[in-house]
Amino acid sequence: MQGVVISNVVIGILATGVRLLAPFLFASIGEMFCQRSGVFNLGVEGIMMMGAFVGFFVTLRLGNPYLGVVMAILIGIALGLLMALVSVTMQAPQGISGIGLYMFCWGLSGLLFRIYVGFITSIEGFKPLPIPGLASIPVLGPILFQHNWLVYLSILLVPISWFVLFKTDWGLKVQAVGVTPQAADTLGVNVNAVRYQCLMLGGALAGLAGAFLTVGQANMYADNITAGRGFIAVALVYFGRWNPVGVLLGSLLFSMMNSLQLWLQVLGINFPYEFAVILPYVVTIAALAVAVRHVWAPTALGKPFRRESI
Amino acid sequence: MKRSNRVAQSLSQLALLMGALLMALLVGAILIGIAGANPLVAYRAMFLGPFSGRFGMTESLVKATPLLLVGLGVITSFRSGILNIGGEGQMVIGAIAGTAVAFAFSQWPAFILLPLVLIASVLAGAVWGGFAGWLKARLNVNEILSTVMLNSIALQLCLYLIRGPMIDPEEVAYGTGTPQTAQLPRQIWMARLVRGTRFHWGFFLAVALAFVVFIFLWRTTIGYRMRAAGEGPNAARAAGIDVEKYQILAMALAGGFAGLAGMVEVLGVHRRVLEGLSAGYGFSGIVVALFGRLHPIGAIPAAILFGMLTLGADMMQRAVAIPAAIVMAIQGLVVLFVVGSDILVRHPEIWQRWFRKKSPGTQGRLEADRAGSGNQ
Amino acid sequence: MNKFTKVLTAAIVLGLFVGVCVLGGFVEANNKVRIALVLASTTDDMAWSQSMYEALLALEEQMGKDNLELVVSERLENPVDAGAAIRQYADQGFDIVIAHGAQFQSVVFEVAEDFPETSFAYGSAFKTGPNVFAYEPLAQQGAYLNGLLAGYMTKTGVVAIVGPVESGDAVKYNYGFEQGVKAANPDVNFRIAYTGSFGDVVGAGELAKIHMDAGADFLTGSAQQAVGAVRACAERSGVYWMSTDMDQSSLAPDTVLAAQVYHWDKLVAEMLELRKQGIRGGKHLYLSFVDDSLEFRINPRLADRIPADIMEKIEKAKQDIVDGTLVIELPGGTK
Repeated sequence: MQGVVISNVVIGILATGVRLLAPFLFASIGEMFCQRSGVFNLGVEGIMMMGAFVGFFVTLRLGNPYLGVVMAILIGIALGLLMALVSVTMQAPQGISGIGLYMFCWGLSGLLFRIYVGFITSIEGFKPLPIPGLASIPVLGPILFQHNWLVYLSILLVPISWFVLFKTDWGLKVQAVGVTPQAADTLGVNVNAVRYQCLMLGGALAGLAGAFLTVGQANMYADNITAGRGFIAVALVYFGRWNPVGVLLGSLLFSMMNSLQLWLQVLGINFPYEFAVILPYVVTIAALAVAVRHVWAPTALGKPFRRESI
Repeated sequence: MKRSNRVAQSLSQLALLMGALLMALLVGAILIGIAGANPLVAYRAMFLGPFSGRFGMTESLVKATPLLLVGLGVITSFRSGILNIGGEGQMVIGAIAGTAVAFAFSQWPAFILLPLVLIASVLAGAVWGGFAGWLKARLNVNEILSTVMLNSIALQLCLYLIRGPMIDPEEVAYGTGTPQTAQLPRQIWMARLVRGTRFHWGFFLAVALAFVVFIFLWRTTIGYRMRAAGEGPNAARAAGIDVEKYQILAMALAGGFAGLAGMVEVLGVHRRVLEGLSAGYGFSGIVVALFGRLHPIGAIPAAILFGMLTLGADMMQRAVAIPAAIVMAIQGLVVLFVVGSDILVRHPEIWQRWFRKKSPGTQGRLEADRAGSGNQ
Repeated sequence: MNKFTKVLTAAIVLGLFVGVCVLGGFVEANNKVRIALVLASTTDDMAWSQSMYEALLALEEQMGKDNLELVVSERLENPVDAGAAIRQYADQGFDIVIAHGAQFQSVVFEVAEDFPETSFAYGSAFKTGPNVFAYEPLAQQGAYLNGLLAGYMTKTGVVAIVGPVESGDAVKYNYGFEQGVKAANPDVNFRIAYTGSFGDVVGAGELAKIHMDAGADFLTGSAQQAVGAVRACAERSGVYWMSTDMDQSSLAPDTVLAAQVYHWDKLVAEMLELRKQGIRGGKHLYLSFVDDSLEFRINPRLADRIPADIMEKIEKAKQDIVDGTLVIELPGGTK
């Protein structure tokens, strides 16, 4: 441990944790809207892969990461639409459709990368954007205010999505559709339209989460770049109990545990690293197991809505 | 429903399944074209590959074996109202537990050791799956969340064991350190049935178990209760069935089947535990269960079909030298089209509407149809 | 539902029938050498797999397409699919099937038994069979030089490894690197951490950032995940990356200081030569500094940053390794 000041380590752990947070937060909040409306989208991992590729590719070709992010969001929306077509209109079992979408996207992103890029290369992504004034606050500055703008956006998304979900008409519709679709339908809410909108929103955010990996974090693209992060994001929605604040806490716990285990390894605290790698998973399960037993959940989650089938 | 009606229904379902496959392949053809290969040549390799000689024929069945076993577990759990997507983790846990038992009693004769090893793998998988079921039933932890986490934990745990305590002593002696166990005692290897291939009798074990599952789910009280819990938990509860208990049991059974699949892979194919053993079977087993319309007997042809499809796609990629990623993309398309078209099976009125103009009498008749098609 | 199953079975049989009807021959008869390559990652991973792929392309170029046929299967990270591919190639009569990874040992031996005419090769490994070549880069040697250079040059006194998974080649490389660092300067703070994945470039990038935050200025790492760490290092000034398997300097020209580069083409050519003599396997082949199949390459852009006396020590160490006066230990102690 020599040569490392403890306070720096703590700051390092927390700052890394915040940086790791963003992709989970984007994807989880998007997924939260999907699940709130009653659709369980397991294809997030795949949409993230496509978002990661498109974000990378556009930045590589046009040299503009902002454009990359926009295109990644658009591709995310398109894939969200595809998921909606299969799971809402065609009423397919959602878990399986999601896995299908994931496989399709993984294959497609790998294929496009091979054909249109063909070798590993790096791009100029977003640089950290210290917030003037705030960034120089001791301790808090390095932890919270020296990241790139997408990290700030991901955190801002928490209050925004809370407001949208609980304080707007549309948010109330989403909630109604996810709990009592029949009743919502009787009241004139177009259930399937709301679900389409949520899946498009979820797709957009998953695409953004993917783009963050390539344009905001790795500055490059490689096969299977998401490495399971999308599935974790889905899990975090359950963890967060379909509430933006809960999702934030869950993502925070997960990324902090991840950051902690990496730092412990770096500092040479010796234990089999396999245990370090599974630490976040174990803690998440444990945290769930001690949580309240019977909590609220969108009751219509996973159930396709069909008007005649009352 | 009348017999002739049932046949017609089966035929239309089959036609639909094939139609969905065809659509997926059509979209896939575009991808193959983008990749710079001739789709016709590629698809010829894909469909003929599995039939070209002993390699293709047997290898499809080699793949079908774990698919069927995992699929049977998924069917059991799905029918009980809980979805097991933890097959990957349960497979490796089962394989590692069975292997540990095999090494502990490596001198024992096969007729004792083999059943013991298989039972150990079933139990270990059942514990791993049952834990997720228990979390769901008692603590209301969603099973999809917990199984995703448990998959990661199982994979790392297995890696730790085959890299550390259970590593092949040879790997240590030579300093290469490839993470794998030593070969299992020879007497319990599952015999290969065709020379020059890795087709082993585990396939027939899996087929036999499909019939066992069928009898269990449809001819026993426990099976009946499990299905009742799956079809309508509230009604089942009202009838005095402890739904939670049966959900735990269902997950334990699903885990047990996956654990067995892992061990059968070890005994029949690899003869040792090594990295990547689960090979995505835990996920594709779900697809097989769906292909087989969630029926244990239906899962048999579904597993074979899916084994052939994945093998054929693999062979296609090698035959026309296109990126391997394309195989994954086409498989994804197949899944999307198949599950997407399923609505036409459940609600035939939709496509009947395409062919006939709506007549006033249609609606009532369709309602009757649907009531009849609710059977399983 | 039983009916449905029966119909489905019938359809499979029908499919078989149609298949046989359309069946055309794939038989190819000529006397060129046919090589099949089986990879766990992709031909563009900028590491282990790509190094072999490019060597085979070079060999194909050299020998001419009429004399050498090369096919590749990628993304075969699990032994099930890899086993199918290896078996299929053997079944199709390929002369040499190269399974490029130590993890393929089990499947290679299993298939090799059934196809005695075919030569199989895999590595890094030691165990050979009558028709199985084992090959191995003496990666610990280049690793040692990488470590030596890092140990001499580090300003912060912290040198770090971004490891994939603690097994096989990574262990060998890391162990050699550590010895080099310690030989240069025993006081250097040597750190090692693993991402737990061979392919997670984002995770490797984050791990590299943490290493740098914790003071490391010389980093290295193996497997395809490493490119993520290379890219992360390129973001900071005064930080250097020591690459292995391939020269990764195209990715970060001002960051990759030196590289251990594998030249597999010589090794494969040797296999072809042995086969001509009727030897199908049983040999253990190496990449080493002796025949330049292993290369230690200094990035020419950055060569002037290495002081002459350090460069001299590196050259001497390399010569000692070639002469056999300097032996780099392997983990486990033997061989």
